[in-house]
Amino acid sequence: MYCDYCGKQATTHVKKTINGQTTELHLCPQCAAEHGFGSAFGLDLGDFWGSLFSEPTKKSIADTVRCEDCGRSFREIAELGKAGCPTCYRTFYDRLLPSIHRIHGKTQHTGKVADKADDSLKKKRELQTLREELERCITAQEYEKCAELRDKIQQLEEKGGETA
Amino acid sequence: MTKWYEKSGTDGDVVISTRIRLARNVNHVPFPAAMTSEQKEDIINKVFAAFPDENGAFSCVRMETVSPREALSMVERHLISPDFANGAGETGKALLLSPDESVSIMVGEEDHLRIQVMRAGLDFDSIYEEANCWDDFLDSRLHFAFDDRLGYLTQCPTNLGTGMRASVMLHLPALQEHGIIQQLANTVSKLGLTIRGMYGEGSRSEGALYQLSNQVTLGLTEQEAIENLKSIAGQIIKEERQYREKMRSLPAFEDRVFRALGVLQNARLLSGKEFMSLVSQVRMGIALGMIPNGNLDRINRLIIEAQAANILCRAEQDLDAAARDSHRAAFVRDNIIC
Repeated sequence: MYCDYCGKQATTHVKKTINGQTTELHLCPQCAAEHGFGSAFGLDLGDFWGSLFSEPTKKSIADTVRCEDCGRSFREIAELGKAGCPTCYRTFYDRLLPSIHRIHGKTQHTGKVADKADDSLKKKRELQTLREELERCITAQEYEKCAELRDKIQQLEEKGGETA
Repeated sequence: MTKWYEKSGTDGDVVISTRIRLARNVNHVPFPAAMTSEQKEDIINKVFAAFPDENGAFSCVRMETVSPREALSMVERHLISPDFANGAGETGKALLLSPDESVSIMVGEEDHLRIQVMRAGLDFDSIYEEANCWDDFLDSRLHFAFDDRLGYLTQCPTNLGTGMRASVMLHLPALQEHGIIQQLANTVSKLGLTIRGMYGEGSRSEGALYQLSNQVTLGLTEQEAIENLKSIAGQIIKEERQYREKMRSLPAFEDRVFRALGVLQNARLLSGKEFMSLVSQVRMGIALGMIPNGNLDRINRLIIEAQAANILCRAEQDLDAAARDSHRAAFVRDNIIC
């Protein structure tokens, strides 16, 4: 279903019955907001997640910053409960963080690292894993493995100049 | 080729299947809700191009070529989400499917890519390994959006981090009968997990089939999320078995199982709801070894193949409710063989 005004994907659907005559309107989020069919309409999933973003009700906050990749403002993201593109998360990181914390209870990713991610991050994760393994081996008194792990850690530290 | 759902796996008496789904997006491209049709087309072409000869066994399907009936049958086979099926006949969505249907990649769902691997029984480790391989393979060609702090970047903030939803489909007739599911749902929600109906988000349980999955994706590793899920699933399986054992000795229970079998073997009209309720009883009877020649593989397959859209696809026509129920009854009679 596409927006009756601009042809984008419609997310708001309005049915009006006046004197027995029913008309239907399909709107994209932007046109819905412009025509006054904002988040007050029902509790769809977008609104639900939107309510997780803490700032949207503060209409006084200047909304001039826009994502350089997709052009979305923070308010638009908050109203939709969805980011426009990956860059939105970098552009509005500080403002999105409280909501992300509310959803997940945490704000730092600890899982798999993508292929093109910063090499130093991959190294940091690898070192962290090796150090944890080393601690475990020390406790378990597996000294041979400890020596092996220490060598690996040293090599990795020297290779990247990583000392943390 | 044998489909993944045509056989049962580890802990198959309670566990129907295990699934891992990874949400991935391509850097510097708007998420699907904000994409132009050209951008959607571009992503589909890039993903299809990543699957030439070396992975030639995959079918590449554009959803505009799929009828709503076929799309729904794919939902019933757990290959695509109900939301994705709504896009049948529309451009901008595509599906890649392995011959045994255990790997499906949705392009243009809520995220650019949803990589899904499924297998029968409880089998998180090998499934994650496989999903991880496909993730690496596609990442090396498409370059996924990733942030050091927030992990994989997804359209909805609920999937940030690992972007991984791991789930296990459980058959819990005994716990359901003892009214324990709600209590279970409350408990698992405190542990960062959720229990839902057969087709995931927003779906109801039919035939006592429930999906247990992780909720939190940021701040814990894939392995931690999987271990958590494995341990809770293990406890639920144990509970379900204990309650089943208690029921086994009741004459009324044995009577009910065999009555259910009798109806499935003889009915001339079977609604979807009635079928699911009866097949659930029979499945429990087979799992308890009460039915000679009972076969869990056959029942698992039947549960999928007797769903409405799969029946319509086999009939190659739209049928009204009564005709569909008649087709279902005939199909069940031919395939239940116990």
